[in-house]
Amino acid sequence: MDILKVIPVVFLAIGLSASEDISKWLIPKDIPFPKGNEITPKRVELGKYLYFDKRLSKSKEVSCASCHDPKLGWSDAKQKAVGVHGRVGSRNSPTVINTAFQTHQFWDGRSKSLEDQALGPMQADVEMDMEIKEVMDIITSNKGYTKLFKEAYPNEKLTIDTVVKAIATFERTIISKEAPFDKFIKGDQNAISEDAKKGWELFKGKASCTTCHDGFNFTDGSFHNIGLGDDDIGRQVLKMKRVAWKGAMKTPTLRYIDQSAPYFHDGSVYTLEESTAICSKGGRAPDTPNKSPDMKDRGLSDQEMGFINKFLKTLTGPDLGIEEPKSFPQ
Amino acid sequence: MNKIFILLVFLATCVFGADHIVDQKKKTFIPHFIKAKVGDNIVFKNSDPFAHNAYTDDETNEFDIGMQKPGEDIKVPIKGEGKFNVECAIHPNMLLEVEVE
Repeated sequence: MDILKVIPVVFLAIGLSASEDISKWLIPKDIPFPKGNEITPKRVELGKYLYFDKRLSKSKEVSCASCHDPKLGWSDAKQKAVGVHGRVGSRNSPTVINTAFQTHQFWDGRSKSLEDQALGPMQADVEMDMEIKEVMDIITSNKGYTKLFKEAYPNEKLTIDTVVKAIATFERTIISKEAPFDKFIKGDQNAISEDAKKGWELFKGKASCTTCHDGFNFTDGSFHNIGLGDDDIGRQVLKMKRVAWKGAMKTPTLRYIDQSAPYFHDGSVYTLEESTAICSKGGRAPDTPNKSPDMKDRGLSDQEMGFINKFLKTLTGPDLGIEEPKSFPQ
Repeated sequence: MNKIFILLVFLATCVFGADHIVDQKKKTFIPHFIKAKVGDNIVFKNSDPFAHNAYTDDETNEFDIGMQKPGEDIKVPIKGEGKFNVECAIHPNMLLEVEVE
């Protein structure tokens, strides 16, 4: 055999297999968790009670699920989060779906774990408005909860740290199910429409959506000022001198995106179509100071944006099947 | 002649410091670890089709190169000894470890 003829074939095969690598688009089978907080059924059960328990708020009317509701795409269908006594927060409630895979929590990424994140809303006056002591008094005086904690964390004291560990563990089980896109990417050509396939090609090509909405969770965890023209300083709250962080917010997942309107950190957009149009035109307010240089007008036609919207709807799978408990520990 | 050239390069390196090329590709610093000397430089390249923004909050070597567009090269001097991390302000999971002798 002529070796000079074989070499190009081998190289071509290597090239093709590399270009067809779909691994980054596949949802991992293993859910990551921090050391010391392994996921167990007992911890998930306990965390679920805590997540839905309105008794842990000042008004006894707000729980984590009030803003991150399984019936509303694990968001709340409101422009901005509403906490105790109708107090309105400053940002839209992001979905909890697949937060297990995110390394930074909140729109500005100020928490680096779900455990740390869970502490915030409990104490925020526009959310649950509780002191840590008030939360712990409720839990430690509840025989049902103390029993559940003993079973879930037998070697740990019942403290606020254990409380947030349980909530975080439950949140780590809120994982997207197999969507039409997942079947398509694994080879089922009939799983999505021809229009959606065109949208997928635009999404990773001409529209450059994958600059930020990259990988199986359709976010690379990056922070950008997307040019909405609002005055939220975003991630810059962590360090004022970091210019790139002015107005920068975390790229949200696009999983189940058609269920979690309204969109963007200010909740100002109520349709997926408008969101796509804003992003593909390089933001709503092109002159926004510090707008990301990657927010550009991609020159998409209305038809092309329509294809992308059809593709985005293929990222929604079946209902996660997680419902609010019918009763709570007493 | 060659020996003289090598000697000149060596002397220039001693005087001006060596350049350590760090590329940013597929949202990763390549390499992700460098060993350098005080007076050397890190030359950040950007081979991605989008912006990066390398920075460190290390007290001695603090820098923030700002938005670096695709294809740009930006040189940063290494000022002091120690170990420090460089991150990207846009892509927080990018990490470069620097050890300075």
